[in-house]
Amino acid sequence: MSKLATWARLKSPWVLHFNSGACNGCDIEVIALLTPRYDVERFGIKLEGSPRHADVLLTTGSVTKQCAERLKRIYEQMPEPKFVVAIGACACSGGVFKGNYNVLDGVDKVIPVNVYIPGCPPKPEAIIDGVVKLLNSVKEAKPNGK
Amino acid sequence: MGSRVKIQSGYLGKAAIEVKAGANRDTVKSLLEANKEAGIVALTGLDMAKKIGLMYHMCTNGVIVTIKTEIPKKNPKIATISDLIPGAQFHEREAADLFGVIFEGHPNPARLVLPDDWPENLYPLRKDAKIDEALANAETAPRQTEAVQAESEGDIVNIIIGPQHPALLEPEKFSVKVEGETVKQVEPRIGYVHRGIEKAAEQRTYLQDVYLVERICGICNSCHAACFVETVEKILGTEVPLRAQYLRTIILELNRLHSHMLLLGHAGLEIGYETLFQYMWRDREPVMDLTEQLTGNRVISSAMTVGGIRRDLQETDIPKVKTQITTLKKKMDFYYKLFENEPSFKIRTQNVGVLSKEDALKLSVVGPVARASGIAIDVRKDEPYEAYGEIPFNLITRDEGDSWARLMVRLDEVVESINIIDYALDHMPSGPFRVKVPRVVVAGEAINHVEAPRGELFYYVKSQGTAYPERVKVRTPTFANIPAFINIAEGGNIADVPPSFVSLDPCFSCTDR
Repeated sequence: MSKLATWARLKSPWVLHFNSGACNGCDIEVIALLTPRYDVERFGIKLEGSPRHADVLLTTGSVTKQCAERLKRIYEQMPEPKFVVAIGACACSGGVFKGNYNVLDGVDKVIPVNVYIPGCPPKPEAIIDGVVKLLNSVKEAKPNGK
Repeated sequence: MGSRVKIQSGYLGKAAIEVKAGANRDTVKSLLEANKEAGIVALTGLDMAKKIGLMYHMCTNGVIVTIKTEIPKKNPKIATISDLIPGAQFHEREAADLFGVIFEGHPNPARLVLPDDWPENLYPLRKDAKIDEALANAETAPRQTEAVQAESEGDIVNIIIGPQHPALLEPEKFSVKVEGETVKQVEPRIGYVHRGIEKAAEQRTYLQDVYLVERICGICNSCHAACFVETVEKILGTEVPLRAQYLRTIILELNRLHSHMLLLGHAGLEIGYETLFQYMWRDREPVMDLTEQLTGNRVISSAMTVGGIRRDLQETDIPKVKTQITTLKKKMDFYYKLFENEPSFKIRTQNVGVLSKEDALKLSVVGPVARASGIAIDVRKDEPYEAYGEIPFNLITRDEGDSWARLMVRLDEVVESINIIDYALDHMPSGPFRVKVPRVVVAGEAINHVEAPRGELFYYVKSQGTAYPERVKVRTPTFANIPAFINIAEGGNIADVPPSFVSLDPCFSCTDR
């Protein structure tokens, strides 16, 4: 049964996008992934609106203090197993906003992160590469555990 | 106004008027009497050691006039002007958050950009604010959780949209009170994307700031960078080479092209017309390619620098750019047909979210939103910057004031942008593309405004004669347009909220900074 679930997860990962204080640069590149040129739906990747249906959380932006609580809540609402991809320099480390009074310097200060994709913003190709790397790591992982 | 008024010329717009703290209301009143169409552009706070300076940058007939006043830091109270100009409400709330100014008589002095659990009496933009210390000592215990308060009172139901919502690309929260299908009240809570960029700009050099301000907004990044470097150039008195001005104009128009097309596609998504979204974003990709070709990056272009531009245009690039934009222009015919004839598109946008000209003036809205309500404002025409003075183009206005008109204005502007790029390429002067400028900027202050895709973008920079700016103030177009959303949504249908909202093209990373 778990084999079947892993297979389904690999063939059609549902992703949720959350912006936790980004400049929109990464966000428009994430949206560009869904449009005809990059079209990640051909890999079965589907953008999902609700955290309760999502397998992968795509986060962008240095986490602002006002957003941190919500980011954590969204992560907690996702069903297990769940994966987090930090997209862009800000999500990885705070980027250009590192050290500002209202940011927490990166998504990993709030929730665990599986894949980091640096860049300001990373090109859509880089984001696809990151997501594929995540899927491969899921494939190699033993069932019932990461 | 009497003898208290001192009129100076200089960089603070066409005129700078210094008044005593008590006279700010009278001055604004007399300005409104002189010109009913006057509005507020920005309210800049300034830490002056024992005093707090406030600058009301007012817009009258397309030019900016600054009213300066000072209040003591120990007792920072001043009368509100938001009853005279409703558009000033948000400006005053921001100054209250960041500088601790108390605006007496303000209708809703709630927190605007700072988080809910921010300590009281800590004002980040005051120079003497010990932020790290105060945050470390702040009571960590009960954080006010942003619980979903979706309770209803009688027939009125409170719907919370955001901060995470499929229709919102950015985290912001809106409480929409509805009775049946009718929207009774909209209460936005912004500040989810507040990164404290104005403070950070004071801690970085002018050159570093160019890259910082670009990242205020990833969509209109070049406009932020251009506006900032122009302001610094005004203080320095630098003459930018003509070739650099033309190159900047091309980059700025590419920025406008991609931003408008992004929005037109997004509008399709919001009204339930996903084909339009996919088509528009497919056709937008060549614009991203051109930006990459000319600047080296698809999104954040990093092309602007103080004294010119960082990359010259290669002669070999010109034919490629021309072919791409000609193809794009031809494709626009299809979208005109779609926008003007497609019934499913028109039903969702025509006569939806109407903003009358009177309301638009009262709320001091900017950009395509104002132009769709019949107000002919465009910084490119009113105070031409870069090469816009030499390039012929049309100022687009429409009179309907509905969501459809706002989208049509943008479609028209896409075509205008293509024409501007075409003209600039044909008339590109030769010569240097940047001049050397000193790293240390002489003491002085300046304001500047440019027409970003969403409307007028305003910067104020003050230098103390060091390599670091003393104060950088940014007023972004969406900040001026948010009050219009409240005006449009209230009294309308709940199902009309998405199309009218998206037609304003809100950008919250700009708004919060």
